[in-house]
Amino acid sequence: MMLTKVRNRMAFVADPRVVLVLVLALGIGSEFASGSTVQLWSFVLINVLIAQSINLLTGVAGQISLGHAAFLGIGAYTSALLMKKWGVPLPVALVAATLLSAAAGWLLSFAAGRVREFYLAMMTLGFGMIFYELIREWTAVTGGVAGLSGVPAPSLKTLSLNGYAVGPVAYFQIMLAVTAVVMWQLGNFQTSTYGRAFFAIHASEVAAGSIGVARVGTKREAYTISAALTGLAGGFYAHLVGYLGPESFGLHRSVEALVMAVVGGLGSLSGPVLGAIVFTYLPEKLQVFADWQFMVYGLLLMVSFVLLPKGLAGLLLPRSRYIKVSAQAGAKKLVSHRSGVESKTAAGISAASDTEPLLVAKDIGLSFLGLRALDGVTLEIRPGQIIGLVGPNGSGKSTLVNVISGIYRPNAGVVTFEGKPITGLHDHEVARLGVLRTFQDPRLVPTFTVRENVLMGMHRLYRQGRVAAALNLPSAQREEAEMLARVNEALALAGLTGLADMPVKDLPYGDQRMTELSRVLVADPRVVLLDEPAAGLSEGELVRLADVIRVLKGRGVSVVLIEHHMDFLDDLVDDVVVLEGGKMIYRGGMESMYRNPAVIAAYLGTEGRPEVKHA
Amino acid sequence: MEFFLQLVFAGVCVGAAYALIAMGLSLTFWTTKTLNFGQGSLLMLGAVSSTGLIAAGMPAGVALPLALLITGALMGVAERVTIRPLLKSGESMGWVVSTLGFGLFVQGFVAKFFGSQAIAVPPLVFDSMAFVSIAGIQVSAQSLSVLVVSLVLMVAMELFLRRSAWGRAVLAVAHDADAASLVGIPVRRVVVVSFVASGVLAGLAGILLSQINGTVDPGFGFNLMVLGFVAAVFGGMGSIQGAMVGGMVLGVIEKLVGGYVSTAFEHAMAFAILMVILATRPQGLFGRAEVTKV
Repeated sequence: MMLTKVRNRMAFVADPRVVLVLVLALGIGSEFASGSTVQLWSFVLINVLIAQSINLLTGVAGQISLGHAAFLGIGAYTSALLMKKWGVPLPVALVAATLLSAAAGWLLSFAAGRVREFYLAMMTLGFGMIFYELIREWTAVTGGVAGLSGVPAPSLKTLSLNGYAVGPVAYFQIMLAVTAVVMWQLGNFQTSTYGRAFFAIHASEVAAGSIGVARVGTKREAYTISAALTGLAGGFYAHLVGYLGPESFGLHRSVEALVMAVVGGLGSLSGPVLGAIVFTYLPEKLQVFADWQFMVYGLLLMVSFVLLPKGLAGLLLPRSRYIKVSAQAGAKKLVSHRSGVESKTAAGISAASDTEPLLVAKDIGLSFLGLRALDGVTLEIRPGQIIGLVGPNGSGKSTLVNVISGIYRPNAGVVTFEGKPITGLHDHEVARLGVLRTFQDPRLVPTFTVRENVLMGMHRLYRQGRVAAALNLPSAQREEAEMLARVNEALALAGLTGLADMPVKDLPYGDQRMTELSRVLVADPRVVLLDEPAAGLSEGELVRLADVIRVLKGRGVSVVLIEHHMDFLDDLVDDVVVLEGGKMIYRGGMESMYRNPAVIAAYLGTEGRPEVKHA
Repeated sequence: MEFFLQLVFAGVCVGAAYALIAMGLSLTFWTTKTLNFGQGSLLMLGAVSSTGLIAAGMPAGVALPLALLITGALMGVAERVTIRPLLKSGESMGWVVSTLGFGLFVQGFVAKFFGSQAIAVPPLVFDSMAFVSIAGIQVSAQSLSVLVVSLVLMVAMELFLRRSAWGRAVLAVAHDADAASLVGIPVRRVVVVSFVASGVLAGLAGILLSQINGTVDPGFGFNLMVLGFVAAVFGGMGSIQGAMVGGMVLGVIEKLVGGYVSTAFEHAMAFAILMVILATRPQGLFGRAEVTKV
């Protein structure tokens, strides 16, 4: 209670004006502060960059690095050597440090798509160790154990920019400005569709794939950007201290980076700042802390995930949100001109029954370790058609949906969409074509609100680039507002408007299902595959679900509906396909299905309506 | 040629110890799909505490089991504190961070109270200068004993898993914990036992490797843990024979690099191998690709 109050009071710190005033005050204040204070502030800034880098990787994208000191070192040695040996100007040296470190992160992430995360964690640990050994042994370049001294630095009065000498205060101000700009961009990026894609990968890779987020590419992107940030911090570090030795880039530095981000608070922009401040000041001001540093770090890493999962920021500051407030306001202002656009898509594809099938799964066969899950199943669906997919548990319904959506690759048969084969495409590639799905158990980002989750469905429709997103260009702002306006419409249709700003983890099952359905609805789907959407819904929600499905049909969308709930299918579907033991045993209308002997036999000989179970 | 064979032999011996580390990691990987990123500190603790106890006048026959008891018990604690709560909380990578924290804590503790300097490890069975001649090459008796102990343990482990009820319970939990629980296997107890056993293995591997190394310091285990992991991945995570072969191949490569290029690159080479394997064949040489269920 009290903490909630504190958090709400602290909301002002997220205000951009407050941040701007703070940055200006620090910049001006540094003119009057003592040399040691400016030095300490400078270290805080470097740690802020490092902690932000870890936060982006771990807190946002859910990946891990135990070797971030190596990126810091790559940045530091690159910038130091470029300036010292070749007299490269500071800005160029810093950019080179950033890019080289980014390249290392990119290379390192090549295994990212192939293995479980902890393999990657171990790999980054190994990478950190290789780097440490390398700078110790490569004496000709790095100076080895003796280190690299004489790096141009303000404290040594050897750093100049454009012919002007850069003193410690000016250097701090440069760092402050750069850090502020970087954080502004990070803030923009993390609240853009690309940032939300990072969160999607974090929460569930399968769900991320289903909305068109490439898992390998996204992880690689996270490693690359994260490495770039730490590389930049390394460049700054080199010139701040003027001397580089291997001991600054060992395991303890990687651990320190983790501690700052984790204790500060993962997943928010302010957490890493808090962490950086605390863990720069503590060892400096508290001798006791410095003595016990390693044990304290160990202990903090051990307990903080359980005791303080959102870190100091989660304790003291308001929860982060993942949609810009300005974009939400923009969406409200937009007059809803979407309906016109939608009728255009609907008009493009007439829902007549004589059109070519939109999606065909032909003779699909799939075995798992000798078990035939699917055996020569064929499914065709035309635009605007609703097909019910029925069968006892284990008959292959979900497997078929997984094959169509690209999660499984079939042993036999081919899936075509608009006449082109899509078998063998990755799930996110299938999703980007407009073949979208829901899951048996809703797969959402639990900490995201309903609105944020639904907005993620539009990932495949965004046109803005990453740079436009990071700079929050007007074009990106406009697009975001338009997307949000469409989300609002979908929420109204699904009856979720009142819950739009609730985190989904606090909502009942039925609302989570409707949220997942809305996520598909907003994405301009061509084919929708719903895996037991009615399970766990109340009567009222069932009616709304049927409404949404009819809206989809009206737009010319093909809908495949896995369902046990026969009453629900009765007045909704055009055709029904019955699977049993991986084989198709019936295809046709609902009415004659009830009289089909094979279907009746499949449902254990029950006569009449095969009412299997109500979930 | 003789130099080459000596290197190969030394590699095989050290590799057998890597395989032991790999086995310790595999044990917990089977039962919980997690592993202790602080395992290195247990290796170190096994070596430090046995050395310390012997230095305090305890006979080796008491000191060694006691040291293993310490590492085993600590690993049990690690499971309780750093794995179980994190698996429950659902934060997928939390346990990586918390087990790493556990390792750092143990390492920091030893450094704080026993000093961060390297301490000499008394030879247990053979003097480091003792050599045996096999087929014309001089081999260190100590290395040979490490090889023999590792091989015996490896075989015992394999037999334990295949023949004993507990071993089969471990395999059942590894295959499907829910199903194992349904047929009455005490899954929780199997998990705890697997962690304690993993800690004991780590302590043993630490004692053996410290024998070869001659000294031990608080940072002793960290590289070794990663090397054990490389051995495990080399042969496919979770396979005992794979770990054995992986460990030995790794040990031989290391020694050859050390002998012909520079000892400075021994470990770097191993980490580079890890990266190449993970990027090209993450299931290892003998492993099967994981099938993810949706």
